[in-house]
Amino acid sequence: MPVSVSFGSGKLHLSNAFELKTKGSKFADASGILKEAFSRTIDIVRSSHVVELDTSKVVPSLVLRGIHVVISSPSDELQYGTDESYKLYIPAHGNPIYACIEAKTVYGALHGLQTFSQICSYNLSTRGILVHQVPWTIVDQPRFSYRGLLIDTARHYQPLQVIKKIIDAMAYTKLNVLHWHIVDTQSFPLEIPSYPKLWDGSFTIFERYTIADAEEIVSYAKKRGIHVLAEIDIPGHAESWGFGYPSLWPSENCTGPLDVSNDFTFKLIDGILSDFSKIFKFKFVHLGGDEVDTSCWIITPRVRSWLHKQGMSDSDAYQYFVLRVQKLALSHGYEIINWEETFNHFGSKLNPQTVVHNWLGGGVAENVVKAGLRCIVSNQDKWYLDHYIRWQDFYSNEPLENITNHELHSRVLGGEVCMWGELIDAADIEQMVWPRAAAAAERMWTSYDKLAKDPNDVRSRLSHFRCLLNQRGIAAGPLEGLGLTRPFGPGSCYTK
Amino acid sequence: MNSSYLLLAAFLLFSQLVLTASRNLDLNHVRQRNRVGADDSPTYIWPLPSQYNSGNQTLTVNPNLTLFTSGNGGSSRIVSQAFERYKRIIFEHASLKLPIDGVDYDLNKLTILVCSDNEELQLGVDESYNLLVAASDAHSVIGEITIEANSVYGALHGLETLSQLCAFDYGTKTVKLYNAPWYIQDKPRFEYRGLLLDTSRHYLPIEIIKQVIESMSYAKLNVLHWHIIDEESFPLEVPSFPNLWKGAYTKWERYTIDDASEIVDFAKKRGINVMAEVDVPGHAESWGAGYPDLWPSSSCREPLDVSKNFTFDLISGILSDMKKIFPFGLFHLGGDEVNTDCWTSTPHVKQWLQDHRMSAKDAYKYFVLRAQEIAISLNWTPVNWEETFNSFPASLNPKTVVHNWLGAGVCPKAVAKGFRCIYSNQGFWYLDHLDVPWESVYYTEPLEDITDASQRKLVLGGEVCMWGETADASDVQQTIWPRAAAAAERLWSAPESGSSRNSTTVLQRLEYFRCLLTRRGVPAAPVRNFYARRPPIGPGSCYNQ
Repeated sequence: MPVSVSFGSGKLHLSNAFELKTKGSKFADASGILKEAFSRTIDIVRSSHVVELDTSKVVPSLVLRGIHVVISSPSDELQYGTDESYKLYIPAHGNPIYACIEAKTVYGALHGLQTFSQICSYNLSTRGILVHQVPWTIVDQPRFSYRGLLIDTARHYQPLQVIKKIIDAMAYTKLNVLHWHIVDTQSFPLEIPSYPKLWDGSFTIFERYTIADAEEIVSYAKKRGIHVLAEIDIPGHAESWGFGYPSLWPSENCTGPLDVSNDFTFKLIDGILSDFSKIFKFKFVHLGGDEVDTSCWIITPRVRSWLHKQGMSDSDAYQYFVLRVQKLALSHGYEIINWEETFNHFGSKLNPQTVVHNWLGGGVAENVVKAGLRCIVSNQDKWYLDHYIRWQDFYSNEPLENITNHELHSRVLGGEVCMWGELIDAADIEQMVWPRAAAAAERMWTSYDKLAKDPNDVRSRLSHFRCLLNQRGIAAGPLEGLGLTRPFGPGSCYTK
Repeated sequence: MNSSYLLLAAFLLFSQLVLTASRNLDLNHVRQRNRVGADDSPTYIWPLPSQYNSGNQTLTVNPNLTLFTSGNGGSSRIVSQAFERYKRIIFEHASLKLPIDGVDYDLNKLTILVCSDNEELQLGVDESYNLLVAASDAHSVIGEITIEANSVYGALHGLETLSQLCAFDYGTKTVKLYNAPWYIQDKPRFEYRGLLLDTSRHYLPIEIIKQVIESMSYAKLNVLHWHIIDEESFPLEVPSFPNLWKGAYTKWERYTIDDASEIVDFAKKRGINVMAEVDVPGHAESWGAGYPDLWPSSSCREPLDVSKNFTFDLISGILSDMKKIFPFGLFHLGGDEVNTDCWTSTPHVKQWLQDHRMSAKDAYKYFVLRAQEIAISLNWTPVNWEETFNSFPASLNPKTVVHNWLGAGVCPKAVAKGFRCIYSNQGFWYLDHLDVPWESVYYTEPLEDITDASQRKLVLGGEVCMWGETADASDVQQTIWPRAAAAAERLWSAPESGSSRNSTTVLQRLEYFRCLLTRRGVPAAPVRNFYARRPPIGPGSCYNQ
């Protein structure tokens, strides 16, 4: 829901020759972001039915001829904090009538187009697209600047087509960060030119991403106003790295965490981050750091004697590893995100630029911001999509809970729902993600006072939105149930 | 982060634990296998062509593959549009868009020859094709791919097969065609290879129907049996009787005439016929939302009132309207699961039965035959569910195609009486039966117990049925795939061509095809799970689940 909305009771027909006007806009659209978004918007609006109405035969005073988009920034740079606000006006009268979007950046304008697409719908009596309840005045901006969805391509490879459809639907819900958990213990699907054998860790020779594929994903996402946050989850979730470089393992039979005692480990991470910096332009990189079981370091004689020589305990070594990698990331110009265990174990040692990514439970953000660091909220009891959790809980999870000092609020960048891939693959990812991620998306977008106190108050809107996703070809599941729910019996989409 | 297992059902947890050890071993195994083109790898074409020869060359394919066409039908837009679709599929990877200097590709040119310019799509249209991939040796100046077909629809199948011979090689970042030279002569075993979609129990948006049609073409299925209407809802517009549309769930869950035509046209461009169904008299309660007269009474609503002429006028109106949308020669009139209680318990119908000296069973026959006459008068060949044949075989119009579903042994009886038959034995080919694993789907045989050659010809083919009670836009596709593909090979490939029970490569090939579907964006479920459409039981390769 937007920040402020007013509407009337008029109706306009969407012209068959609906056009984009950009007169007065400072944005030249050299890369075609706006033009492409405009034609996508019209395509999805028209996808639900074949349009039969010939609007050239309708009196012009009832036809919306086009949309006038005025953008004040000439830049198409997408970066964290890029202004996403927009204003959307749809007048009821005029000759001819044009809707208008005003935005500081093209990415705000894209959100305006998404909102516009939800105001249009096919009408069975006119056999055309109607713009309902004109005149509209909408003023809108997101509450949080980080609104993420994690996908995991290590537990199951997700084909490019599937990732692109996830990005499409993220744009429909105004999420803006695709957190790409690319590699993990199970597989290493991404090409790393500096260390080409890492690719040996892919499941098969077919389940891989080239650098060009990754660039394509980043560019596809950017055209929809979505950042891609790349992650390497170290040292604990990296066993697959050793298929190509076995010296990264403490030993052949004790294969994780990455060998802390070996300089090659850090040289290789440096190479990965260097390759990353050429394709992943988001200012953050995610370095993982969760669930580190250091037993292999203690058991393996070589590593143990190294620890001894350095005078480090295994937990010192964990800290040493994380901090050393943080420095590498900083040297490549990245700011760092780490999972919350790093904060829980040695929060005061973390680079002050660190963003702590909560997951274990509630109440972490409060401690993080008090310690002066920034935080992203993903408490697993509410925002883990692989857990069987009701949509109402996704909706109700409040990132700022218990943070009473308002000055600290800005340190909570936002939140993220996490679609871990152990038990989902290309077949079911969409209905596991949607519509529950959409419930969280409203929590992250909409200003606090506009959010429903009782999630059941938004049920009907969410149910409509789920059916809209279906109409657009996205396999969003029924609202009822805990995720991956099948419809219990015949019936309308709008009642499920 | 990885505590996702915690909330799983206990049986899943159990299988998880049992399988963990073996899966880790498998993982390394998989990492080494699946080299397409290796000498011991199976032929990764699904469904298998009827005849093929391959070699051991690996050829590179130019991402700017050029199309040359010839023959009377070569200039068809159906061909050129399909070529563009398949180019997008074959050359999907972004690295192929980068210009590479100084690379000589082995294959730069595709020639498609289509003899006939007749684009009418009907049952029995010639779907055969030859696909030739010449070797690049001393004798041929330049490697070339040729598809020859009598109709554009054969050419479409040739393109699909070609797309399956190619794979992106991540090492060289080029598309390669393995095991060349190829000489493939292919044609379907059965002319009717169907999939039923049910848009009454759940409305399926047009985008979803199109996704299903697109995926059908990958498996060379050729009939979308559109079970549009049933007792739950009536989503299709019928201009002659506009109130029928009131039987839709909501105003958003409807198809206009133009929507239906758009679907038929979209399917035709992919070589797929659309067979419409109105399932009368038993599955039609939703009709009465707009015309309550069709119900025997407001408290007893099914079957349609046999005693009123209006009922048949209305059926006639629906069929006339549908005739303008659905050019396919077959039309499905349903006729299954007719419970005549409402006829015998509603006074005015009971009276009518008495006046006409009919039992309820007679009236059922009377209804079906009268509906058949309407369809036949519109030049349609009627298809009816098998109960009609089981109840009154001697009275059915001899043109009738009997649609089996209840169990085995029906097609043998139907063809023995000279009827044509479509096989959909629910024990194997009902996709909403989730407890039928892929092997059962794959190894069932439409010609079982039919030995006489002329009778075998009367089996038009078969159909897998995706009834919609628990399948909506969110899960319909993974309920369909990959099991529909198992049936598709049964219906396309000659039984002796490697699809026999002792073949060890079927599973491997089906897993490969399932992953091909997912790469193309089709949410096809894991192959190995006993229950259909279940999520994978743990992390792993698509090719191994």
